[in-house]
Amino acid sequence: MNLKNIRNFCIIAHIDHGKSTLADRLLEYTGTVTKREMKEQLLDDMELERERGITIKARTVSMQYKHGNESYELNLIDTPGHVDFQYEVSRSLACGEGALLLVDAFQGIEAQTVANAYNAMDQELHIIPVINKIDLTHARVDEIVEEIEQTLMMGEDEIQKVSAKAGLGIDELLDAVIGAIPPPEGDVDEPLQAMVFDSHYDEYRGVITYVRVMNGTIKKGQKIRFIGTESNHEVLELGQFAPQQRPCDELHAGQVGYLICNIKSLELVNIGDTVSTANNSAEPLEGYQPPKRMVYCGLYPSDGQDFKELRDALERLAINDPSFEFEPETSDALGFGFRCGFLGLLHMEIVQQRLEQESDIDLVQTAPNVTYELTLRNGETKEIHRPQEVPDSGDIEEFRQPIVKVNFVVPADYIGAVMKLCQDRRGVQKATEYLSPTRTMITYELPLAEVIYDLHDKLKSATRGYGTMDYEVIGYFPADLVRMDILVNGKKVDALSVICDRNDADRRGRAVCKKLKEEIDRHMFEVAVQAAIGSRVIARETVRALRKNVTAKCYGGDISRKRKLWAKQREGKKRMKSIGSVDIPQKAFMAVLDTGAEKR
Amino acid sequence: MLNVMHSNATETRSVYVHVPFCAHRCPYCNFTLIAGRPDLHEAYLDAIELELSRLPDVLEIDTLFFGGGTPTELNCQQLDRLFSIFQKKFQLIDGAEFSIEANPKDITSGLLEVIKRHGVNRVSLGAQSFDNQKLKVLGRDHQAIHIHQAMELLVPKVDSVSLDLIFGTHGESLETWHADLNQAIDLKPQHLSTYGLTYEKGTAYWKSLQSGALELTDEEVERNMYEHAIDHLTGVGFEHYEVSNFARPGFRCVHNQIYWTGKAFHAFGPGAARFVNGVREVNHRSTTKYLNDVLAGKSAVGEREELSPIDRARERLVFGLRRLEGVCIETLEEEVGFTVSEICGNEIDQLESRGLLQNQAGHIKLTRSGLLVSDSIWPRILVPNDG
Ligand SMILES: Nc1nc2c(ncn2[C@@H]2O[C@H](COP(=O)(O)OP(=O)(O)OP(=O)(O)O)[C@@H](O)[C@H]2O)c(=O)[nH]1
Ligand code: SF4
Ligand SMILES: [Mg+2]
Repeated sequence: MNLKNIRNFCIIAHIDHGKSTLADRLLEYTGTVTKREMKEQLLDDMELERERGITIKARTVSMQYKHGNESYELNLIDTPGHVDFQYEVSRSLACGEGALLLVDAFQGIEAQTVANAYNAMDQELHIIPVINKIDLTHARVDEIVEEIEQTLMMGEDEIQKVSAKAGLGIDELLDAVIGAIPPPEGDVDEPLQAMVFDSHYDEYRGVITYVRVMNGTIKKGQKIRFIGTESNHEVLELGQFAPQQRPCDELHAGQVGYLICNIKSLELVNIGDTVSTANNSAEPLEGYQPPKRMVYCGLYPSDGQDFKELRDALERLAINDPSFEFEPETSDALGFGFRCGFLGLLHMEIVQQRLEQESDIDLVQTAPNVTYELTLRNGETKEIHRPQEVPDSGDIEEFRQPIVKVNFVVPADYIGAVMKLCQDRRGVQKATEYLSPTRTMITYELPLAEVIYDLHDKLKSATRGYGTMDYEVIGYFPADLVRMDILVNGKKVDALSVICDRNDADRRGRAVCKKLKEEIDRHMFEVAVQAAIGSRVIARETVRALRKNVTAKCYGGDISRKRKLWAKQREGKKRMKSIGSVDIPQKAFMAVLDTGAEKR
Repeated sequence: MLNVMHSNATETRSVYVHVPFCAHRCPYCNFTLIAGRPDLHEAYLDAIELELSRLPDVLEIDTLFFGGGTPTELNCQQLDRLFSIFQKKFQLIDGAEFSIEANPKDITSGLLEVIKRHGVNRVSLGAQSFDNQKLKVLGRDHQAIHIHQAMELLVPKVDSVSLDLIFGTHGESLETWHADLNQAIDLKPQHLSTYGLTYEKGTAYWKSLQSGALELTDEEVERNMYEHAIDHLTGVGFEHYEVSNFARPGFRCVHNQIYWTGKAFHAFGPGAARFVNGVREVNHRSTTKYLNDVLAGKSAVGEREELSPIDRARERLVFGLRRLEGVCIETLEEEVGFTVSEICGNEIDQLESRGLLQNQAGHIKLTRSGLLVSDSIWPRILVPNDG
């Protein structure tokens, strides 16, 4: 295939603006998938994606399309919209020359739309703005055109108007893709240079490596070299996604496809690495930033469950999800477990759900925290992934936390509400920009810890669902932070410690104790819950002892029923941890996230 | 009374018979029964006879217990036939305990004649309260006067009479409860059972609780009532021998102790649970299903469960501890073939250190504080942490 007949592009947008549905239509209009095989969001084929109705993993498809008298190869990448998976979008952008930027015809420009558009511009991609869902009765096409013109500096003539669902405007969109997106550059005769932009693990065939060939050609049977890992392999099979793997004999400059080389572990293939030939190595291409774990939490087996089983389950999972990491840790309270790092809270939730679905494990999860940095009096610097690691405050010279730049896009009426949210969280306002007479983009700098747990939910409720946000880390900055400990019946429970701002400590301590009091069942004895900073107790609550709990009747017929009932109560407690004979339920470990926000 | 128990582990020397009839269903009751269906009595007797005929020989037993429901819901001829059916199959040894449960209003001289003739020597009367208002709240069809009349007939004729009493009903005061206890004591029963009212799923009370028409009695009040019963009854010479049972010396219910000490027993009738050769079986709970199946020649059994030896041992410990005299560790370990730490790790020690159990020379039993929260103890023993 001639380079000028190839178009590589991805579909980017705010979450739910219809990327995967548009991909469906493109697959259908190009005849890649027959009407009979078609189903909604066909590319979202992971069970979790279908369950949640969102895209989690970017997907690549090659489509053959006849336009006029010419045959074209269109390689599209459908990307996820959720912030947690932003890094997948960045990688996808590097594989193409163009991007379809979808905007929902009712919702208009949202925070993620802006973020994605800027990303695409940074990579010098040609952007085709696409207003989607024009079939909606409440579509505001003219207003959205204005928002696009104002925010992204693009003219109305560049904008496509489609309905991915109803199949309106798809032919015109395909015309635009061919007409406006530049064909890939590159030279088939140059030494081989192919970008590894993704991979997945196949139980039977090992690692499937996704590549975009920049220069040269890869052939079946060829000996190739991963420049970064300095490993050589033979190409056993190569091909394109259509959308299933379709083997072919070669991939040349400008094309996107996959390689199978009998590689047994994903660790041996680095995303962002460059593939060249074994004998004639080319220069490595500029790679990607590895995905950054934003939150960490501890995962422990519940009482009576096996640590080894959990480790095996984590290992199995990591095979297919290199973006999550784990390492063994121990806690005085919880015993042996793992500290796990995730891209965000959704990612954390997904991993946890998969662990429980795919293996029979009840987990106890500690509250998530972000990564902090410390400089100690002795000059040493440390990264802190869990509150327990924070040393005595006397040893700390400087405590730094990650700060993010957050863009909010909100209807003008809600500006006040958003500002209040941010001020309460020690935010610093950076900019305000009017996207249209009714929509505003507000930019704040906020501590990541104040953003990641619940700001999205809070934003939704403060703006009746109309506000959206997007964030990126800008760096670590000093702050007045302390470690707050929780004591249960006088015993410090390390897994309940949190890092918080000194000025918030009293309020949070009270809120956390109160919440713990609700979560911990009454016991046969009194349970005292305290919050402390160092040796200073800042809040206390008491879970009253049970006064009476006796079943009167228990005769022949009741015995098995009663036994089952009591045994079941105990099983229920298995999703707990006994700490000094106090049963602490899973939910209690999340209680430390309670910020006491209502009382701010 | 029975002095010598002839039971070794393999022999089954007790029989329970479930009579699933009541005039109407009390609003707090979730027992296996069918209310207001006297037309089914004869079919029931036929079915019981059939169920029984499947046992091979005439067997010798120590205790026979007719419970319900309300056994006295059957008329005198029917009761006569019921007792005869059992006497053909089971040979009560000398001094055996033969109990029936009865409704106060059903005690007549006619009834007394039937039960005496068959050798009933223990009657457990569903008195519940002497407060007519409270009886009404409980939906009972009798009043205090009926209890008095029944006791006048029973006490002189029957070796052991027991009264059931309920506390903790909606709006009940400690004074009402105190008066109930006193009136019961005055009637000179040999045995008393006191039950805190519970709200069970599927009952009319449960619905009233959900809708807010009834309220749970305050935990503190309930605790006071329970403790008051214990203190008051033991103060006048009753022995508190199981969570909810009190007896004059020598008048403990032998049959119930079979359950609590993990011994074997036969059972007949709808919903009846038996424990024979280490296997627990429960008959069909629906009376009509039971009748249809048994009369059609099919099995009466609805559920069957065989406990693993360790689970049996745990159960044995729990039910043993519900008896206030507790459990002798050595005897128990010998009987079940596990040590206490195999049974439940260090739970016993932990409970002891919290003052919920006491261990005196190898004999463990509930303390008063343990007794009061004992339902929170059982789960820890049945499913110990490291198990
Ligand atoms: N009315 C209408 N609904 C649409 C259209 N396109 C997509 N939708 C609906 O919008 C919702 C989201 O569609 P998806 O295709 O999953 O959106 P997405 O952008 O891929 O979502 P993420 O991958 O999670 O970011 C689904 O309920 C679609 O049916 C359209 O043109 N018109
Ligand atoms: S009389 Fe007894 S068994 Fe019958 S319904 Fe009332 S409480 Fe239940
Ligand atoms: Mg999608």
